[in-house]
Parts: sequence; structure tokens; C-alpha cells
Amino acid sequence: MRPKTQRFIVPAAILVVLAIPLFVTVPYYLHIMFMVFLFATMGLGWNLIGGYGAQLSLGHSVFFAIGAYTAVLFVVYKRLTPFVGGVAGMALAVVAAVIIGLPCFRLRGPYFALATIASGEITRTLLLHSKDFTAGANGVPLAFHGNDPLFLQFSSKAPYYYLALFLLAAVFMIVRTMERAKVGRYLAAVREDQDAAESLGVKTAWVKMIAFVLSAAIVAACGVIYAFTVGYIDPDSVASVNLSIEIAVVVIVGGIGTLWGPVLGAVVIVLLTELTNMFLGGVRAGANLVLYGTLLIVVILLKPNGLISFFDKFRPKQEAEKTQVAHGTHA
Amino acid sequence: MNPTILFQTTLNGLMIGGVYALVAVGLTLIFGVMKIVNFAQGEFVMLGMYVSWMLATFARVGPYPGLLIVGAVMFALGYLTFKLLIIRVIGRPDEAFILLTLGLSIVLQNLVLVIFGAEYFSVDTPVKDEAFHVAGLSLSVPRLIAFVVALLLVIGLTLLLNKTDLGRAMRATAESREVATLLGINPIRCFTIAFAIGIVLAGTAGVLLTPMFYVFPGVGTLFNLTAFVVVVLGGMGSVTGALLGGLIIGIVEALSSTYISLDLSQLFTFLIFLAVLFFRPSGLFGGATQ
Repeated sequence: MRPKTQRFIVPAAILVVLAIPLFVTVPYYLHIMFMVFLFATMGLGWNLIGGYGAQLSLGHSVFFAIGAYTAVLFVVYKRLTPFVGGVAGMALAVVAAVIIGLPCFRLRGPYFALATIASGEITRTLLLHSKDFTAGANGVPLAFHGNDPLFLQFSSKAPYYYLALFLLAAVFMIVRTMERAKVGRYLAAVREDQDAAESLGVKTAWVKMIAFVLSAAIVAACGVIYAFTVGYIDPDSVASVNLSIEIAVVVIVGGIGTLWGPVLGAVVIVLLTELTNMFLGGVRAGANLVLYGTLLIVVILLKPNGLISFFDKFRPKQEAEKTQVAHGTHA
Repeated sequence: MNPTILFQTTLNGLMIGGVYALVAVGLTLIFGVMKIVNFAQGEFVMLGMYVSWMLATFARVGPYPGLLIVGAVMFALGYLTFKLLIIRVIGRPDEAFILLTLGLSIVLQNLVLVIFGAEYFSVDTPVKDEAFHVAGLSLSVPRLIAFVVALLLVIGLTLLLNKTDLGRAMRATAESREVATLLGINPIRCFTIAFAIGIVLAGTAGVLLTPMFYVFPGVGTLFNLTAFVVVVLGGMGSVTGALLGGLIIGIVEALSSTYISLDLSQLFTFLIFLAVLFFRPSGLFGGATQ
């Protein structure tokens, strides 16, 4: 995209996205948009460690679940607003990220991915098992007591739409800043060649930990707003391997290690799975996931830099090259 | 502690451990030769179960007589998967392979869901409820058959790897692809055969499981995770390690679900898994390939 057109298209797109709830009132459509924003945000967060840091995490549902459960349980047991409970959830997710990251960052390639899957399964098993505290497999519903902004309860979907959009915008700006800051360049060095970066004095363990912790906090925040939007959480929906995988797939399909990749990936994946589910779900459950898996396979085989690479030719040359470098060489 | 219950639990664990070992040996063979983890291994167990169920339902061929047919079908599936998909990511980073097989596992699981629905099927055999009773312990015949066949297949694979030219070629490729090529071995051919055999072992495990487990689209997920654990426990790439690892995990799961809690049995498996990854990344038994 040339800078001139970009200057016009971006504000126009922002206006359209802001105005959508004024014209679209069908709750289901707004919910689909909400899920697009949510997955775009999680993708941006995952990309910090999975894309820029090149550590393929398949355990990010841990942080989503911690955010969701902490905020919801604070409401259930202490009647504490999710604005406090959510921050507590993000803090706990950061602690979990440190606990998982410290030993796991020593592992590479498939070992790291396997260890993160195991962390996710341990979290899910613990949530299922502690029935007295988390109600186990029954899950925790949030009773609706009418509009109450302090407890994120709204009878319309529009406030949740704006909440998710706001979070997406904030995370987008954070990631963009990071990408250009020193940390971003250190991460790029780690991705290219971990040993070389270390020998040049980059504290690779620290750089990876910063990216991991930040991505955990972002995904935990998503867990919080998901829980209050849907009004119900259970271990199989917020702590499943499938969720961890979908967060990663959004980024990979969109374009790993790029700023717009997760956003594009979320639009494509969420729309694809929701729309096919709407048209085929009643007749053939699973058809949407067949398409989703096929899309992942096709992207891996034919477009390893993600769908965003279709747009390379519209972008300034330097940026396009940056995406190429993003995935060329790390092994 | 009642010794009969303890022995019975251990015995049950050992028997199911044989099947875990079979799934894991397939996975470890693929890893050993190609240095890649097949995240869809459990889905091939599931496919083996469905092929066995179809044979029983539509052709009246029971799981044990149908073992060879399922084996042949699985070999063909493994071969096709390799030629259509896997071969295209050889030489690319680990991530590409992980994501490709993850995508494959999602597609296979949901394709089966689309075709057969979410129903739980079961496969009958005349020996389904038969059991031997010795010294107060009971040993169900399907479990015993699964254990013995699994053991025989693992022994057969070890012989193949150690005593035949094909096996030696595969081991050479596992050691070093470059050196193997210099010796006139075609590494791609070794990869193809190793992958297809790995898939056959997964599918056969599926057949052996049908008298004990319901057949449904998500059943493979259970075996996917367990197989990873077993393979890491035994040392990635080690066939004997995977066999011992499978037996250990079978016993650990049986004991923890009897003595601690049914829903925590997986927790111990994963904790052992992480402990091995962190403290003995080459596996419990050393870790030389093969």
C-alpha cells in the first residue's frame, strides 16, 4: 500500500468499523465481529512470542483460562468488579508465563511446542478437578442482573463490540511500538539465530521472557472480556488445546511475524468458521473445521508467509522484505 | 492396601500400556528417521478404528481377522499422506511440519465427523467379554490379545530395523541423511517407508483398541497426547524406549486413576512428561537412536 492511499484508507476503515453497530443490530453478527477482534488481539499477543520470538507456543489457552476464571470467580465469590479481577487475572497470567517460560525456553523446536501443550492440559485438568472452587466440568455461569457497566453486563452486544475493538486497538499500538523498539530488534535477532544473538550480547532468555509475559497478559485480558461477553465459562471452552491451536493458526494463516497478519488471519478464520457453521452447521457439524484445517494446510504448503504476503506488492519495498526475512531462515 | 487390587490394576495398566507403546513406536520411528513429530498420529489410530468398524459392520469381518486388511489400508493412507503432503515440507523448519500435521489432524477428525456423525460406535468380537482368571486376578482376552500383538509388532519392527537391508538403510538415514545418500541410499524412499510403517502401527493399535474403546471422531486426541509423552519418556527415536515408556505410562495411569482420582490420572502423565523434558531430555533410558 502506498503511503498516500494508506493515509486515506486507514481512517476510512476505522470509521466504518466504529459505525457498524449503529447499522447492524443482529446480535449474532455483532458477536462474530467481536470474535474477529478477540482473535486478532490474541493473535497479536501470540505473535510477540510465536512470531517475533519464533517459539511455537501451543499452550496460550492457559493464559486465556487464567484471565477468564480469575475475573469470573472474583465476581462470584467476592462481588469484585472485573476491572480489578481482570487486572488480577492478567497478573496471574504473567506469573504463570514466568513459571512456564523459565524451564520451557531451554527447549527448542517440537519439544517447546509439546511442553506448552502439556502446560495447557495440566491447567485444564486442574480446573476440571477442583470442583469445589471452579465447579469442574459444569462451568461457571454469570447471572445477568440488568445493565451494569461496573460488572461488564449489558443487554446489547454493542458495548462488548466496542470493548473488544478498544482492546484490539490498544494492543495493536503496543505491538507496533514494540516492533520498532529495541526489544523488537532483539527478538528479530533471537529468531534469526539464537546462538549468534547470545554471542553478540543479547540476553536471549530475557528478551523471550519479556515477549512471553506480555503476550500472556494480552491473551488473559481477552479471556476476561470473553467471559463477560458470553456469560459462561468451562474448562473445555477456555482451556482447550483447540483454543491454543486456533490462536496460533490465526497468526500463521494471516502472516507470522507481521503486524497486520494476525488481524487478517482473524478476519479470515473467524468469518470462514462462523459462516460455514451458519450455513452448514445444522446439516453437517464439523464441515467448518474441515475448511479451517484445509486452509491451514494450504497456507503451510503454498503461502508459508501467510495470506498477508498477497499484499506484499502493494507495500513499500523495505517492509515487504522484512516479512520475507521473518520466516526464511530459522530452523 | 489390598494386594489383589494392586496387582489387578498394574496388570490392566500393563496391557493397555502395550497398545500405547504400539502408537508411540510408530511415532518414534517417524521421528527417528525423519526428525519430525507427527501431530496427527492419534488421528491415524482413530482411522484404524473406523476402518475396523466398517469391516465389521459392512463386511462382517471382525477386528482380529481384519487386522491385515486394516494394515494394508493404513499403509496406503500413510503412503498417500507422505506423497501428497509430507514430502513438500521436507527441509523446511520444524514449525512447518508441526503445523502441517496439526492441520491434517483437524481435517481428518472433522472429515470423519462430517461423514459418520458424532455417534459412538462399538465393534463386537466373540471374545469381547471373555477373561482368564488366575489367582484371583482376571485378564480380559481383548486386552491380552492387544498386548501380545503389540509386543509382536514391536519385536518385528526391531528385527526389520536391525536384520534387513531396508532397516539398515533407514537407520543410516536416521544417523545422517548426507552420509546415507553418499552410501547410495535413497533417503526419500526411507522416509516414505518409515512414515507408512508408522501409520500402519497407529492404525493397528486402533484395531486392537476397538473391542475396548468406543469408536468416535475425537478418540484419537486421547492417544495423540499419550503417544507424545511415551515417546519423550523413552527418548525420541528409540523403539525399545517407546516400548518401555508405553508400559510405564500404562501402569502409571492405571495406578493413579485407581488410587488417587480418575480425572487426575492424566495430570501425572503430563507432570512426568515435563519432568523428563526438563531433566532428561534424551529420555529415561539414555537416548541413543534405535
